[in-house]
Amino acid sequence: MRKPTLSPSLAALMGAAAALGAHAQSAPETDSVVGYRFNEYGEDSFDGAAIGSQERYKVYSQQFQLDTRLPTGAGLDVVATHEVMSGSSPWYVLPDAQRRPIQVLSGATIREHRSELRGAYTIDPGTASSTTVSASYSQERDYRAGSLGIERSLPLGNALTFGTGASLSHDIIQPTDAILYDRVRHEEKNTFSAFGSLAWVLDKSSVLQAGLQFNHAVGYLSDPYKLVSVGDAILPDTRPGTRTEAAALLRYRHAFAKPDAALHLDYRYAQDSWGVVSHTVDVGWYQHVGDSWQLIPALRYYSQQQARFYAPFFDPGQHDFFSSDYRLGTFGSFAASLNVRKRIARWELSAGVERYHASVDYALGGSDSAVPGVLSYTRGFVGLDYHFD
Amino acid sequence: MGCPCELKLEGEAAALERAAQAAQAEVERLDRKYSHYRNDSLIALLAACADAGGGMNVDEETAHLLDFSATLHAQSDGRFDIAAGALTKLWDLTSGRVPEAAAIRAALSRCGWQRVRWRRPHIHFSTPGMRLDLGGVVKEYAADRAAQACRDAGVAHGVVDLGGDLAVIGPHADGSPWLAGIKHPRDTARALATIELAAGGLATSGDYERALIVDGRRYSHILDPRSGYPMQSFASVSVLGDTCLVAGAAATLAMLFGVAEGRTWLENLGLPFLCVDAAGDAFGSLAR
Repeated sequence: MRKPTLSPSLAALMGAAAALGAHAQSAPETDSVVGYRFNEYGEDSFDGAAIGSQERYKVYSQQFQLDTRLPTGAGLDVVATHEVMSGSSPWYVLPDAQRRPIQVLSGATIREHRSELRGAYTIDPGTASSTTVSASYSQERDYRAGSLGIERSLPLGNALTFGTGASLSHDIIQPTDAILYDRVRHEEKNTFSAFGSLAWVLDKSSVLQAGLQFNHAVGYLSDPYKLVSVGDAILPDTRPGTRTEAAALLRYRHAFAKPDAALHLDYRYAQDSWGVVSHTVDVGWYQHVGDSWQLIPALRYYSQQQARFYAPFFDPGQHDFFSSDYRLGTFGSFAASLNVRKRIARWELSAGVERYHASVDYALGGSDSAVPGVLSYTRGFVGLDYHFD
Repeated sequence: MGCPCELKLEGEAAALERAAQAAQAEVERLDRKYSHYRNDSLIALLAACADAGGGMNVDEETAHLLDFSATLHAQSDGRFDIAAGALTKLWDLTSGRVPEAAAIRAALSRCGWQRVRWRRPHIHFSTPGMRLDLGGVVKEYAADRAAQACRDAGVAHGVVDLGGDLAVIGPHADGSPWLAGIKHPRDTARALATIELAAGGLATSGDYERALIVDGRRYSHILDPRSGYPMQSFASVSVLGDTCLVAGAAATLAMLFGVAEGRTWLENLGLPFLCVDAAGDAFGSLAR
């Protein structure tokens, strides 16, 4: 190549082309991100009839994330989380003289820590035929969990994509103060999940996804820290050793060129072998404002019907299974959230708040048994991401 | 790309097969991404945004192409404009007759990079009815990318010819340069000059075929986005550069400057070039 003298115009052209050339060496699409996020979760004080510590349950969590491309073009996403939890939680329910429920709360935990590491490796990321393998490990004083998963997406034509995946997890439960409170010493559970989905590109600005999910858990599925009042006895929470859940979901995404926004509409129906039936509706609006702001208001409604063996307390007699865990009762909830993102050159600031309110009265079809432990919470986060090539 | 793509490769048969497939896949990828607005692509959304007025975030590769186009816009004082699609479309639609002045004024009000707010990775179209056309840079970029794909596949000797725009993979196996003929713009069977190419790219811009002749007047397909009318320029400009992308940008800009200004601009630019004017006279550092 003859060496031309570098005129200002040529320098400008070659400078601009060099950026494309540099880009051409690396894999196309998306850049890399490192991020940090701080979350605070706080439950409302217990406002019903209760005995015991009233200290609110609080969780502070910190999260570090790296999402990048390897020189091979594969994607790597690593997330490390550390949480500190403290406060008291519902323990068991006693009937008063009029058989009204009184919630007994556990003593406040001092400070529990949980650490988790998750990693995902994606072949052909960002394409319609990507494969992701993932693994995670989580540890706290009384609980360890590990999981492995694989996901695959396959294009079935220009406008149709098939997605499928499966995962296995293994959990080990070793409750604290097991001897003092006569809890189980060492228990395990295994969970298998599988899903299949179809995504249709309806037109240039909307996508509809329909999916089916199947979860099967075997092992110790009770909560070792919860007790149940059965007649005059206070017995450990006792649930079946298997739980099979099937869920159907629909997701709709519609992008609007004007006013530069996207609507996310999700619905999930789930039913399990314990008799729990749930509906979840999510509505989110992703609004760009100017060049660098994004506002995301969202609403979620959730309703569930209780497990067959749920009651706040039980009459004496033969029961195979019993639980007064509020999470297995009939209730409904509303959550409203607002997230804000702001891009400043390579930095991206994000912050959000969520208010969650649950009540037996919100359940579809109402309820015939009390769920005194049902709770409400407020959650907030701030995050900072740095994008690089 | 709407043009023939030819590969000349030298090397082992297995590597050649691999390189040819990789080059073809890369050209097809860019063609799908930028030339045809497929319903399911990000670019379709970009077209919809431009049409409706609005904005969106674009991927890294598109961002680089937009940055490059913005540089060309600045270097050509607004003559090179990827946001002039409404004007191009108007002249295409009225093929066979000259559009009415009012229609041109209306199209001009929906043209211009100055009406686009581009702050990586967000592009915002303040005026509805705009059309973005990256065709002016994508073909040369695709030639460079195809050449790189061949190098990545282990072929060191060859040349990619994408509709007359060349990107050299590397010289012949014996080290000798490739010989490229520059066609005469009005008589495409005749070679005007033969150029030795050992590296880089050679690109030609011209109005060989696409011209409108009304009442004996020849309207070139080269549009001045500032006036809204076709302009008289060279019959063709060929430029040799470090990459096909730079060579193509220089040739396109010279065309847009017109004969007098374009020649001075090319001489100042410093890249080897060859121009042919409307009368068929050739000049430039590559003319012989």
